Amino acid sequence: MTRTLNRLTPALSRGVTLIAVMMLVGMLPWISGRDPAVSILRARMGEQNATPEALDAIRDRLGLASGPVQHMLDWFAGVLRGDWGMSWISGGPVLPGMMQALGVSLALMAAAFGVALATASLLCWPTLRRGLGGRDTRSSGAVAAGLTAMPEFMLSALFLVVFSVWLGWFPPYGWSSWSHMVLPALALGLPGGGLLGRLLSNAVAATFHERWIASWAVAGFTRGQIARAVLRRSLPALMPQVGMIMVAMTGGAIAVEQVFSIPGLGRAVLGAASAQDLPALQAGILILLLNALLIGVLANLVRVALLGRALHMGALPVPQIAPMPADRRLWLIPVSVVVVLIVLIAAGLPRDPYASQFVRLQPPDLALPLGADAVGRDVLARVAHGAMSTIGMAAIATFLSLVIGLAMGLMPRIAIGLIEVTKATPPTIAALIVVAAMGPSATGALIAVTAVAWAPLAAHTAALVTEARAQPHVRIAPILGVGPLRIVPRSILPAVFGPVLRHAMLRLPGNALALAALGFLGLGARPPAPEWGLILADALPYVERAPLAVLTPVAALALMSVLGVALASLTRR
Amino acid sequence: MSFLSVRGLCLSYPAPRRFLRRAAPLRALHDLGFDLAAGERVGLIGASGSGKSSLLRCLLALEAGQSGAIRCQDRPVIAGSALSLRWYRRAVQYVPQDPVASLEPRMTVARIVAEPLARLRVEGDHARRAMEALDGVGLDHRFLGRRPDELSGGQAQRVAIARAIACRPGLLLMDEPVSGLDMTIRAQVVDVLRHLSDLHGTGILMVSHDISVVAGLCDRAMVMDRGHLVEDRPIADLMRDPHHPMTRELLNAAPPIRAVA
Repeated sequence: MTRTLNRLTPALSRGVTLIAVMMLVGMLPWISGRDPAVSILRARMGEQNATPEALDAIRDRLGLASGPVQHMLDWFAGVLRGDWGMSWISGGPVLPGMMQALGVSLALMAAAFGVALATASLLCWPTLRRGLGGRDTRSSGAVAAGLTAMPEFMLSALFLVVFSVWLGWFPPYGWSSWSHMVLPALALGLPGGGLLGRLLSNAVAATFHERWIASWAVAGFTRGQIARAVLRRSLPALMPQVGMIMVAMTGGAIAVEQVFSIPGLGRAVLGAASAQDLPALQAGILILLLNALLIGVLANLVRVALLGRALHMGALPVPQIAPMPADRRLWLIPVSVVVVLIVLIAAGLPRDPYASQFVRLQPPDLALPLGADAVGRDVLARVAHGAMSTIGMAAIATFLSLVIGLAMGLMPRIAIGLIEVTKATPPTIAALIVVAAMGPSATGALIAVTAVAWAPLAAHTAALVTEARAQPHVRIAPILGVGPLRIVPRSILPAVFGPVLRHAMLRLPGNALALAALGFLGLGARPPAPEWGLILADALPYVERAPLAVLTPVAALALMSVLGVALASLTRR
Repeated sequence: MSFLSVRGLCLSYPAPRRFLRRAAPLRALHDLGFDLAAGERVGLIGASGSGKSSLLRCLLALEAGQSGAIRCQDRPVIAGSALSLRWYRRAVQYVPQDPVASLEPRMTVARIVAEPLARLRVEGDHARRAMEALDGVGLDHRFLGRRPDELSGGQAQRVAIARAIACRPGLLLMDEPVSGLDMTIRAQVVDVLRHLSDLHGTGILMVSHDISVVAGLCDRAMVMDRGHLVEDRPIADLMRDPHHPMTRELLNAAPPIRAVA
């Protein structure tokens, strides 16, 4: 009985988590604490007063009088019937518009996935050629690593400035011809492609170190056959990552659609969030979550199909990671990035980020090194203060996610479902749920980033805990009378804490970028707070007249990405 | 009167699951039964996979058999919480195979040896008893502040033995206690064990696949083969006249017997 229960715990954990997320989405109108009747009245009938009779009439019409649980059940029943609710704003059904938007988003994502595959192939090509030529295979990393950490909203802004505004090669916004697709697909596909290329290149390099390669070469297989076999051997281990990359794309697509004004699902959901149109928001979030779930399942199916019988026979050799030579110069990158950030902060911190004391979009001069923004505020001051608030908030999010990650990772069998679902949730989707529940705010962004940032740390903790529990000095503990509670502070935490703390620190730049992305999308810090994402969003409409106001926050974000990647690759060696 | 008795002990593990169907469970122990008298020294020998380690896990109450009973000093031994097994842990202690890895790397030798005294609520001055235990295995006070990575293999095994005898158990269970040590150290550790056993009347059940070590320390040997107890006789008899084919095989595999130490 207990044994069966034990075996079922992970499956139960997954099921319960999925149901909990669904319930959360279903009950959003009530969690928000806002009387839906009031928002509807305000949105649709501005002239009418909020008399009790008017509110009751609306509640009756929407079936809101029945209470949260009944409403949630009705909502689910409706979803199953294909009736996803009526928009509070337009009064029309939500589903047709969302499906149309989904079509646009899927086209964009397909194009972006094509870009990612092409990028990954280009990045992996040199490694494959070196391996086929019999030379030592080492993963080529720098370009891929650089691409990996560039957040989509920053790339979008950069491409918009360079290719649409300066060079005029592509239209800056809209969705009516093929040329509209190029920049968004690049912005969305390049980061994922960089990551995929790096992982694939590492995996291929490791595969070329396996012994069968030599046997095959001696036996007279052609280079094409060997290349195909190497890829087939390397790909299955990457499939979960491919799934994660595609799920991350659904999050990134929201930002890209916003920048290029593409009428896709992300933009529809953002619109619903800012208008507090909860039925539309619920529908959008549900589609995004289902999409993520479907991608995860598909990735797993492809992996099983690629592995075939090897999966059941336990016949997979464990790939060996070739050790990389240590390189002192690697320290130069993160150190110089930190120095530049410190200089920026030191120069801007004494200046006032809030006062509109300059001419609108005033060009830079000695007294105003980076110019003024659209309301005449000092860009340098705003970016410097923004660094403080963005990095400070990221530090808080990192600390909280470290605590939660350690706690969750210590009970991996119970938390597994929560960890998996959370790992598959991009911060943007988490932020949409938070915004739906409590409105946009800096605290909300902090909660959203923390709510997803703990999951990788928990997964890491769980892996280390399993390892630690297998150690002989931990396994002997019960015989010495050390109980299961005491074993955690005695042996498990000390073994786990150091590596997980380091991992959390590596994720700090990433968390800062996620916070900035939420600010940029209007899901985080509110104006006039100086926050990098917000500064970028404010400056974007005036990009032709004051490109520096766009490029400065972009450069700051790029520095942050470089810092993250440089730190991460330092510890991998 | 027997110190520890085992009756009808059976243990099986579920077979690994194939696609949608499960093979018959793997039977690790078949209806085992034996007694250990107080102070008796017994060797348990068998090839890998014969069920020695499974039996040891049952005797350590880390695992419960599907049927059968283990009694110690006429009290039933039931795998359970740390609290409910405290009395049994005081009566039966364990020396593992890999001594260095079995010592918590962050603790000093003094804390390692005193830990079971505190956790098992043994009465008396723990620091003094830990020092006595270390004395008993031939380590002096200079070792108290060291950590496991500063010990040699033989020293680490002595610390592990000191940790096990600190609470004066009536029986020591050991899993290949000397197989990781080189020949001269091996003899010293066997000496220490014989000396302690004689001094305190501590019984020993030692698992080994090396019959020569068993012959040097034990009076009686049990041979296991595929989950069955196939021989249980005085070691001298067994070596002179092995009944079971497995015993003969193990005897042939062993190097020529010489007096250990």
